[in-house]
Amino acid sequence: MTDVVARWTTENVLALAPDASSQRAAAGLARPAPWSGTGAAGELVWGLCAGSGQQPYQAIADLTGPAYKCSCPSRKFPCKHVLALLLVWAQGGVRETGEPPDYARAWQQARTAAAAGRGAAADQGGTEPAEGVPGVAKITSEQKRAAAARRSQQRAGRVAAGVAELQMWLRDQVMAGVSGSAGRFGHTEAIAARMVDAQAGGLAGVLRRMSVIPATGDGWPARLLSEYAQLHLLTRAHERLDALPDGLATVVRSRIGYPTGRDEVLATPQVTDRWQVLGVRDLPDAPIPARRIWLRGRVNRRFALLLSFAPGGYFGANPDAALAPGTELHADLHYYPAPPPVRAVIGTRHGSPARGSRPDQPGDLAALVAAWAAALELDPWLTEWPALLAGTPAKDRGRWYLADLSGAAVPLLGQDCLWPLLAVSGGHPVTVAGEWSPAGLLPLTVWHGDRAVPL
Amino acid sequence: MTGLAYADLVAAATVGLSHRPLQITALSGAADEHAGLIDPGDQAAALLDAAALLVTARRAGMRPVTGLASSPAADHDAAPELSATAADLLRGPGPALLADLLALAAEHGYRAPAPLLPFLLDAAARDRGLITAVAGVLGARGRWLAGHRPDWQRVAGAVPAGVLPPGDPAVWETGGRGERRSYLAGLRERDPAAARELLAAGWSRETGEDRAGLLAMLARRLSPDDEEFLEAALDDRKASVRAEAAVLLGRLPGSAFTRRAAGRAAPLLRIERHAARPRLVASLPGIDEAGVRDGLSRGPLLFTQIIATAPLAVWVTELGMSAAELTALPVAGDLAVMVRAGWRQAAIREAEPAWAQSLLAAGWPGPVRARPPGTWPRDHELAAVLPPDARAERAASLLRAGMTNADAVAEVAGCPAPWPGPLAGAVVAALRGAVAAAARSDAAAVRPARAAQVVPAPVPAAARQAPAAQAVPGPAPAQPPVWSSAAPARPGWPAELAAAAGLRLPVAGPADYAAALAELAATDNCPPNWASALRRAADAISVRRAFLKEIR
Repeated sequence: MTDVVARWTTENVLALAPDASSQRAAAGLARPAPWSGTGAAGELVWGLCAGSGQQPYQAIADLTGPAYKCSCPSRKFPCKHVLALLLVWAQGGVRETGEPPDYARAWQQARTAAAAGRGAAADQGGTEPAEGVPGVAKITSEQKRAAAARRSQQRAGRVAAGVAELQMWLRDQVMAGVSGSAGRFGHTEAIAARMVDAQAGGLAGVLRRMSVIPATGDGWPARLLSEYAQLHLLTRAHERLDALPDGLATVVRSRIGYPTGRDEVLATPQVTDRWQVLGVRDLPDAPIPARRIWLRGRVNRRFALLLSFAPGGYFGANPDAALAPGTELHADLHYYPAPPPVRAVIGTRHGSPARGSRPDQPGDLAALVAAWAAALELDPWLTEWPALLAGTPAKDRGRWYLADLSGAAVPLLGQDCLWPLLAVSGGHPVTVAGEWSPAGLLPLTVWHGDRAVPL
Repeated sequence: MTGLAYADLVAAATVGLSHRPLQITALSGAADEHAGLIDPGDQAAALLDAAALLVTARRAGMRPVTGLASSPAADHDAAPELSATAADLLRGPGPALLADLLALAAEHGYRAPAPLLPFLLDAAARDRGLITAVAGVLGARGRWLAGHRPDWQRVAGAVPAGVLPPGDPAVWETGGRGERRSYLAGLRERDPAAARELLAAGWSRETGEDRAGLLAMLARRLSPDDEEFLEAALDDRKASVRAEAAVLLGRLPGSAFTRRAAGRAAPLLRIERHAARPRLVASLPGIDEAGVRDGLSRGPLLFTQIIATAPLAVWVTELGMSAAELTALPVAGDLAVMVRAGWRQAAIREAEPAWAQSLLAAGWPGPVRARPPGTWPRDHELAAVLPPDARAERAASLLRAGMTNADAVAEVAGCPAPWPGPLAGAVVAALRGAVAAAARSDAAAVRPARAAQVVPAPVPAAARQAPAAQAVPGPAPAQPPVWSSAAPARPGWPAELAAAAGLRLPVAGPADYAAALAELAATDNCPPNWASALRRAADAISVRRAFLKEIR
């Protein structure tokens, strides 16, 4: 093993953004085109980003800090170039090159010297720091740990302040009446931006998503209050984070927006199986275009979710985002620590994706709603749950349902996906994979014989 | 007392607690179990907490519904589905190739795979030209599926009548216009007399538009038994019904209608000889009420109309000459265009190859640069009547003679697939010549030059022996002018010819035409739009080859 820093996830990187517009701008730059001379060595990542001027900007990030430097004139910190560089890196788009270029080395040395100076100054009880002596400069791991602890404390403080502010905001909404305060489109934009500042990216995301609710037609106040209530529940839970059971505390932290590092996930025990790809759902309208890939172990029959982000709108070189329905992959999966265990990353692959057969033993709706209720007990904020069912599409009073073999039925969601599902079924039972939510089932894949048909 | 429901909370939150305070003590349903956790001292927090309890209870408590109405499933279909590979091939091509491939699949007894049905039905709903081809591969599953969407039903309604199970007679009474037409067409296919009698029974109750549309369904399996009904329809109030009846009666050789047409036409033409050289002399006709009833119109088109509606056999009998001889005769006055336009229409209606062949050879008798009138059927329409071999042979000879005007390209493109070797060779040679010429110099400079080199179409022996006398005023050209050869080459014809070649060049056999066209596309200086047309054609051939492999 080399001591390469465990790669961050896209969410980790986006959590560093000072505001939403930086996220968007960085996402736009996170493509190969503007970048040249990118590289990484140990904790250092660098690259040249073509800008509007003649000289490309020199972007550098030190992952231990994290600390950043860019030659662009932006006053945002980190700037969009650094964020974009890290997004590219997080997706495996930056190679380990070993030797940093001069501008990166110079910056690192200057930082090291300054840190050594500060350390010396502290030791010497406040006298002027000595000039940086080249070669001496190495931050001890002791110092690193201390710095990390300081940063995490700072962050916790910022998040707590943000959460308190959100709670006040929510109370103001119901005091003043949601019909007035929510009458304008985008009424959540300001508080969402505030949550970004407070490094509570998860809250910001939820707030942004709900900004469209007042434009969704009849009954929107009920839908909006439902979102407010669940956010309020989250702020309540955060208030007493220390008193919560471990699992729920992890859920709350992750929903608030504390990132979970990829290395942290990979440190959980691996679950080895032949993972069948049940379905793929693209979310192109999300703030960062995302893709959900649902898996199910052929032997252990456990579900898993791979979540990939494509800041530039394309999933490019990310092999985990390229898995197609109907294939299966022999691999180790690691579940995220937050329960219920569903989101996962791929660890070691034991082969290439190969064409698989139809998943066996699809369930019925009674089992699905039972599993959903059990999952909500672990994470009351869950929005969707995987489903693998045997059933028949059926129309009743102008509405389409999926009826299982016992005759129980749930509404089918989505428009275009209905017709291929109906074509393959022909009014007979079929195996369907999809996403379940309280609104109904969004079908993603149907099996025509042994062949997976994406819907 | 029952607790507060979610709707109560929504009502309070909508107007705002500052306007409408709300005391929360009990909640409805399972959430009430935890209502004790709510702090009544803080109204806003209490409302949000209560809402969280109710929302979570509702989310976790979602239950499936039962007792749905059941609907019939699709029937079993014994026909095999196309393979997944074949289905993938169908998703790429444009409508023309798609229609060809689907027709091929239907011919081999295949039906479309279920997952492809929405794609095909959508394509046919957008593009009417695909309806027949798509309808042919729907199978029981496709028809069942189409029944769920109004825009798809039109496609399913076009299923070839022989394939349809006997329709539901209720459709005839209560169905829409399209459904009734396809019901009648289906019945006509199985029992022509029953269909006619069904139509006659309710005839007076149909609207004019329905009468015309339904009458057209009798074109299938037309027989002398239909004459009486059609004859009566000539007296219909609606002009489109009368016109449809006249068209159908014209296809019944022994009918009174055709006899009347022959009687009107025979006196119009006679042969006169001057110095042993025969020529046709025409007399202009009058028109009576019976003629108007038979669909003729007063006016400048009358002469051509009478010739066109008369059976061609009448000329051979009346004038004592063969088709080849008659079509080569000069016509007195400037009536040659009108006479031959009428004959051309008749040859197409009767699908009479000998006449078509002679008329094509005789060509355009009008002034060299004049555009033919609307009554003048184009060469490719006439060529469609020829036997396939003769048609292909003629098309190949046009290309070999360097003819690339609109009519010539349409004639070549109209030849059914697969093109026989000589035609295929001529097409590739013509394309190669065009690309080579374009590569030698600027493409724009080359095309007019080629147009000037055109050679007249081969003139049959009969025409060569005939005198070169012309009904055209002014200086007569040295050779009998053939309109199609005089028309300028069509700009961009290689792209058009390549498009047809992609659909019609043979895919089996020793020659690899895909490779030949791809090679042409890769020639240096090949104009970009030709190159892309050639590449598309090469791709189409490869797709057809792969598809054919899948269904054999």
